[in-house]
This record gives sequence, structure tokens and C-alpha cells, in this order.
Amino acid sequence: MKILVAVKQVAALDEDFEIRADEKDVDEDFLLYDLNEWDDFSLEEAMKIKEASASEVEVVVVSVGPDRVDESLRKCLAKGADRAIRIWDDSIEGSDAIAIGRILAAVAQKEAPDMLFAGVQSSDQAYAATGISTAAYLNWPHAAVVANLQYQPGNQSALIRRELEGGLLQEVEINCPAVLTIQLGINKPRYASLRGIKQAAAKAIEQMSLSEIGLSAADVGATHSMSRVRRMYIPSKGRAQMIEGTIAEQAAKLIQIMNEFKGV
Amino acid sequence: MDNAKQITRVLFESFEPQAIHLFYAIGYLAIAIFIYGVFVQIRKYRRGKADGSWNELFGRFVDMLKTMATHRTLVRRDKSAGRAHGLIFLGFVLLFIGTSTITLEYDILEPLFGIKFWYGNFYLIFSLVLDVAGLSLIVGLLYMMYRRQWLNLPKLDYKRVDRQPGDPDFDRSQYRREDWAFLWSFILIGITGFILEASRLVWLSEQATVWDYRFWSPVGALLAEIMHGLGLTDQSAGVLRPYLWWFHGLLSLTFIACIPYSKIKHIFTAASSLMFKDPLAGRRLPMVPDEQKTAGYKTITDLTWKNLLHLDACTKCGRCQEACPANAVGAPLSPRDVILSLREFANHALSSKELPKEAELDIHGKGIGQVFMETLWSCRTCLACVEICPVAVEHVPIIVQMRRNLVEAGEMEPLLEKTLQTIHKTGNSFGESKRKRAAWTKELPFEVKDARTEPVDILWFVGDYASFDPRNQKVTKSFARLMQHAGVDFGLLFEAELNAGNDVRRVGEEGLYELLASSNIGTLQACDFASIVTTDPHSFNTIRNEYPDFGGQFEIEHYTTLVKRLIETGQIKLKKKLDCRVTFHDPCHLGRYNKGFDAPREVLKLLGCELVEMGRNRDNSFCCGAGGGRIWIPDPVGLEKPSANRMKEAGQIEGLQVFVVSCPKDLTMFEDALKTSGYEGRFVVRELIELIDECVEYEVWEDSAVTA
Repeated sequence: MKILVAVKQVAALDEDFEIRADEKDVDEDFLLYDLNEWDDFSLEEAMKIKEASASEVEVVVVSVGPDRVDESLRKCLAKGADRAIRIWDDSIEGSDAIAIGRILAAVAQKEAPDMLFAGVQSSDQAYAATGISTAAYLNWPHAAVVANLQYQPGNQSALIRRELEGGLLQEVEINCPAVLTIQLGINKPRYASLRGIKQAAAKAIEQMSLSEIGLSAADVGATHSMSRVRRMYIPSKGRAQMIEGTIAEQAAKLIQIMNEFKGV
Repeated sequence: MDNAKQITRVLFESFEPQAIHLFYAIGYLAIAIFIYGVFVQIRKYRRGKADGSWNELFGRFVDMLKTMATHRTLVRRDKSAGRAHGLIFLGFVLLFIGTSTITLEYDILEPLFGIKFWYGNFYLIFSLVLDVAGLSLIVGLLYMMYRRQWLNLPKLDYKRVDRQPGDPDFDRSQYRREDWAFLWSFILIGITGFILEASRLVWLSEQATVWDYRFWSPVGALLAEIMHGLGLTDQSAGVLRPYLWWFHGLLSLTFIACIPYSKIKHIFTAASSLMFKDPLAGRRLPMVPDEQKTAGYKTITDLTWKNLLHLDACTKCGRCQEACPANAVGAPLSPRDVILSLREFANHALSSKELPKEAELDIHGKGIGQVFMETLWSCRTCLACVEICPVAVEHVPIIVQMRRNLVEAGEMEPLLEKTLQTIHKTGNSFGESKRKRAAWTKELPFEVKDARTEPVDILWFVGDYASFDPRNQKVTKSFARLMQHAGVDFGLLFEAELNAGNDVRRVGEEGLYELLASSNIGTLQACDFASIVTTDPHSFNTIRNEYPDFGGQFEIEHYTTLVKRLIETGQIKLKKKLDCRVTFHDPCHLGRYNKGFDAPREVLKLLGCELVEMGRNRDNSFCCGAGGGRIWIPDPVGLEKPSANRMKEAGQIEGLQVFVVSCPKDLTMFEDALKTSGYEGRFVVRELIELIDECVEYEVWEDSAVTA
């Protein structure tokens, strides 16, 4: 029994960041990296199944990204994942969620898990598409925004509750293997102590090239994606201002501003 | 003295040989029971982990003797009890030496070599000393009985704050019974000893060698006179004596046999505990060896033998509980209960021949003898308990070791967990960008040097609260101005400075601490400076006491000593004096942790302030509640906060104007508490730096800065 958990190292903006010269992304110097918040929950869900199971359950985390991603994978290993796989090739740069899904599906075909979990979305790009596109390439059943999961290892199906708009919940029975995208709050993710992370450094992170999963540069990257970033920019701010002075002065100023807007 | 050899006490006088044999048989039995008990105790300690406290054994031994001889630790904050204990101690030691002297002659020197010395003048002085000793013992015990029965001291009530009435280990009434059994048996040994002595005098009143010298045992003689007065004849005294003798003898032997099994063992355990005292206990927490799989204490066998010994040293005096800020506000923590719980647990689990299964050794949980998670998280690591313990029990290191295990298992407040992750990610507890750490310098009228790029005399380690908290930034800027004004060549680490880790370590996140400490040490070692200064006592403590364990040896001082020097040398020129009534709050990490009591007080004096001390000051200062990571854990609703409790104490000072602190966390905690406890408007909370700032006029360098 094996559960594959797809995780992503996401970027958070530092204060006073700058956009890259090519205007496609934020300058990497101003980014702080960490494991995607949703992935904490999907890994925890896999760990819960592993720990509750009488039979052997292997939890494998997989991520697509450069060297720096190892730090996040190590955190997953510290939390108890059995193995970690990282896929990278410079040609992957610029891939959209669909192309990443293609890569993850190739890994899933190689690993042949009984379940594949991913976060609902990543906190930096927020496409909420990677998990679902992986399912599409695998041609597996899938369910998005899973808020509750009942699954016994070895079962042919799982019972899940999905979050819908307007506070509705949908109960779904899904055949396995399946791809589930896990919602925040489904469990309480455990804390990875720094000692744990340090000790996880001893566990190897398996690095795989595209050819090892049966893909080539022709399957990935910006040119083989269905969408491409054209420009990233900071929208100009609204014109809020504080009006100061006595109440009479403030009222006069307000009338003046309103007249300006009306073009009087 | 012709009859000197006759002036003695004939041992076993007019006893049948069988009676003497019986007495010796019982004596050997008592010793055997004693030795077996000692063996079980030592086997228990040997089941603990190794501890490297064996160095400088002779010096430690001498220190222990000094502490015991002066009763220095026992008279603190409880003079009467300390002195009464001193009387009992003196009596016991002298009586023990006396009995041993007799044994030396009667059982060893005389039968083997025919040497006798226990007669004549030596015997008479011996009698006098032992009479005084017996009296001292009884007086001390009588006070202790009075104290237990009539003083109603809360610390002598063993009811637990972390258990509910009805829980099997809630009221600990067995301890009260043991206390009384101890007092009564001990005092009965003393009293029967005197009556026995008196009845011998009456019995042998016809013998001049006995009766004429009776006043060398004054208490016995007085009792003998009373017996005479009551009409006791020498014959009836002779009848009474054997009964008294056997009663006294058997009670004494039972007492000896009971030593390793009862609180009497503190005679040995407290002494050893004092001998193995770690002067840096809590100030420098133990490292976790890299090869160790899990951090901290999960099972009772994770404790070191020294920890196990400390548990046995506790005499339940309750001084730690009285000093504990968490206990004072009703949190479910009494340092004494943690120690006693673990002791009961160790005695239960480690005293039999075979060790129980691993699962039965777990000291965390809700069972009997286990320690609650809430209890461990209530601790502020303020060190008040360790500091006052008369027998050198080290509570805080044990509590932190247990927390390390909780942290590893993720058993902590969600907010604390979040903060630890934030510190890991950003290097500070505010979750601010590293780049913003020195943002406050931008508002200064001068440039602050970057110690990473140019040599400085003094490297200022700013710390999180002083760097990021807006209220504290004002103080931080004032301090920078003061240093500039005084012509100090100083610089900062800017964004390379990380949280010093003091509180992270006291939370129990050892891995994160190692990361922070080694990063800061690396950064500091790459800089060229003579010494470090900080306004943050927490950073001060860990850099001073703990960084050396990680290879970081630095000169560091708290700003209070530096500023005091600068004022005294005239580098800081005070242009006016403050005419106000102030009180000073000793920060735990400056005062109790590092004995920095005097510098801030002297600075206040130099400023012209009238200092009125609060009841709890200096080593007994009351924690603001922020220590040990508690600043990142919300206080339970409905319970008083330690900081509010402290405000009430300050509020009692007539005409108080300023509550002075010298720690960024204190400023935050007490300004909050001032508002919530209703003293706003009565007095203000100020950093010492702010008071100095008021007395300094900056025009000289400000002008030159503008013209430069």
C-alpha cells in the first residue's frame, strides 16, 4: 500500500520586493520559500492513514523544483514520510500547472500508488489545477477540495466529503486509485521539530531526471505549456488620502475633492 | 582525680548477657535493613542516565560542608524554620558523633587494643555536650511541631494545584502523616533519652562517682531532682530503667532502619544534592547530543542519576512553590509537585529488581505520578524555584527537558507552534522580514556602523523585542543616541542578527535553538569587536552562558553596567537630576540568572531617583510572566497574569511615580498590565534608558551632526 503526496515549495513575498527585469516574476532575492500550507494537511492525512493502518503503508512525497526544494522535502521526511522524490531539469522552468501535472502523472505511473494526494492549491500561484491535471493525465477519478476522508488501506473505494460554495458539503464515494486535493482544516498537521528536520538530512532524497520518468524536454517548460506568464506587475494604488484640519476645513476640502471628481 | 576511671557510664549495666546479645542482634538487623535500603536507592540512581558532574569533587564537598554548617540556604526567607532546623541538625550531629565515640571505644578500641578513654574529664565534658545537643534537638523539634500545627502555612499544605479533589494523588495526606511520625518518633527518642539519663542518676544516686557529677548532665540532673521530689526511690528507678532503656534503644534502631525508606533520607540525599549542585543550573541548559535519537525526557529513565538524586533531596519545604509566579496566579504548576510526582514515579518504577516495560516508564500523561502537559507549559523558567531551593533541587532543567519531548511530539499551544515556525522562517519572533531588523536606525540623525563590514569597539546585539516592537524601538533609539553621545564606537549586525534563542531553548525547541545559536555565533565570529552589549537580558543570558557550549566565547555585558560606567567616567553627562519616587523590577534574566542586581540601582541613584523597593526584589523578584516562551502563549482567561500581580505589588508603594524596568519584554508586559490592572494614571512604566535619556541634553553632538 502506497500513498503519493505531491508537494510544492511556495514563495512568499518579503517586504519591499522588486519585480525581475524581464517583468515575468518577483526577483528571487525578495522571496522566502516554505512548504505550501495545503501540503502540510495532505501529508498529515497520508500520515494519519499510515499510522492507523495495521498493514504496511508507504508514504512517498514528490515535488518538482530545483535544489532549494530539498529543504521542504526534508521537512516532510521529518514529519514521517518514508521517501522523498524530487524531479528537476532546467527545461522544466516556466512550466504551467498542466505541464507540472504531466510530470507528476509520470511519477505516479512509475510509483504506482494506491492514492495520490495534493493540496487544493498553492499559496503563491493559486491555480488550483496541478492535482486535477495530474488526475487527467493518469485518467484516474479525482475529487477536489476534500474536507473529510474515510479510507482503509486496501479498500476499492474511499468516502469523502467535499467543500462546496455556500457552506454546502458533498459526500462522494470515489474509486481507487484516485487523486484527491486536500483542503485546509481537514486535520491538525504535526510540528516538525528542527531536530527532526536535521535528522531527516540523513535520509536520501531521490532525484529523478525527466528521462527516468519517461519524459523529455519536449513535454515540459514554457513552450510546452498551455499558458505562459506575460507580465507581473504591481497595480497602481487607489488615491486614498487623510483629510486634516478643523471640521470646517475638512468639509471644505471634501467638497473640493468631490467637485474635482465630478469635473466641476 | 584518683577515681577518674570510675567516672564514666557503665554500658549495659546489670544487663543479662542474653539481653545484650538480643540488643546486638536487633542492632545488626537494623543496620542490615538500612544497608538494603541504601542499596535500593543507589540501584535506582544507577538506572538514570550518566551525568558529568563528578569534576572538582573536593571543592564541591567543601562547599557542601560550608552550606550545611552555616545553614545559609535554610534560613533564607524562613528564618525561624531555618534556625529550628539548625538546632535539630546540631543536636543530631553531636548525638551521632557521641554515639559513634562510645561505639569506637566499646566495640572497637577496647576489645581489640584495650584502649579506654571515655572516663574522667573527657566523659564529663562529653556528657555536658550531649545534654546540650539533646536539648537543642528537642527545642528545634518542638518549634517544628508548633509550626506545623498552629502556623497554618499554605506551603505545608500538600494539596495539589494540578489535580482535582477526589483524584487519588490530590491531597497527599500520607506526607502529612509521615511528617508527624517523623517529628514524634524523633522527639520521643530525645525525651526518653533524657528520662533514661535521669532515671539512671536516681537509680545510682548512692554512688558518689555518679551522683556528685550529675550536673555535668544538667538536663538529666534537673529531671532527676524532679523525680526525687516526686518520691521516686532508687529501687523504683532501677525497675523503671530497663523499660525506658529498651524503648529508647528500639525506637532509635527503628529510626536508623527507616532512614533510606522515609523522609529521614534527606540527611544523605540533601547533602549529596548540594554537593552536585550546578551553579549554572537553568542558566545554561543541557545540550542534546547529536547521536541521541529523541530530545528531552519521555521516560523516568531518561533522567540522569543527578536528577533522580535531586528528586530525593526535596524536603517538601515549599519555598519553591511560594516563589513560583505561575503558582501565585493559580496556574496548575507547583515546582514542588513536579519534583514530588517524579520522585513518586521513580520510587514506584525503579525500586524493584526488574525494570517495568518501556510504556510504564512514560512520565507524561494524566496518570498517578505523571506530569501534565499544562503543568509543564505553565512554567516561566524564571528560576525562582531553583534559586530558593535550600537543597539545590534543579527544577527548571527537568521541566525544560520534559518540554523538549512535548515539542518533539508537537504537544504545544498552536500559537507557540506558529511562532517557532515563524522564527525558523524569518529568524525573529515577529515574522518580520530580516531586512527590517535595523529599520529603526533610519530615524536616527546619525549613521550606525555595520559591524560586519568595519571593526567596532562594542557590538550591540539588539534582540527581537528591541528591534521590532514599536514601543521598544523608542527605547532602542534612545540607547543608540546615548551611546553616540558618550562617544562609544559601536555597530550592529543588521539583518544578519537572528533571535538569540534564549526563549526558544527554554520552550524546549532545542533544534531551532542550535540553528539560531550557531548562525549567530558564525556571524559574530566573522566580526571584529572587543565586546558585546545588549539591552535584552534574555539575549544576554544565552550569549553569556550558553553560546560557549557551541563554541561562541564572547565578552558580553548588559547595558546597565556599561551605562553606569559611562556615567561614572563622565562620558554620559547628566544635565539634570530626576526628583521622583521609583521602584525597580529586576528582570529574571538579568537579576536572578546573572546577578545583575546592583548596576541598575546605582544608575537610578546617579539619576537622583528615590528608589523604594517592592517586597519581592533582587533574587526574589517576581517574573513578569513572559519567560520560557510564555510571551508566545496566550494566558488562560480568568486567571490573573503575573504582570498584573506585580502591578498590585507596586501599587502599594505610597506616591510611586515610575515603575522602572530594564528589559524589553518587561516594558511590553508591564505597560499592558498597567492598563488592565487599573493603575493607569497612578504611575508609569519606563525603561531605565528612558529615564537616563531625560537627564541628557544632546545639543552638543546634535549640532555637530547637523553641521558635519
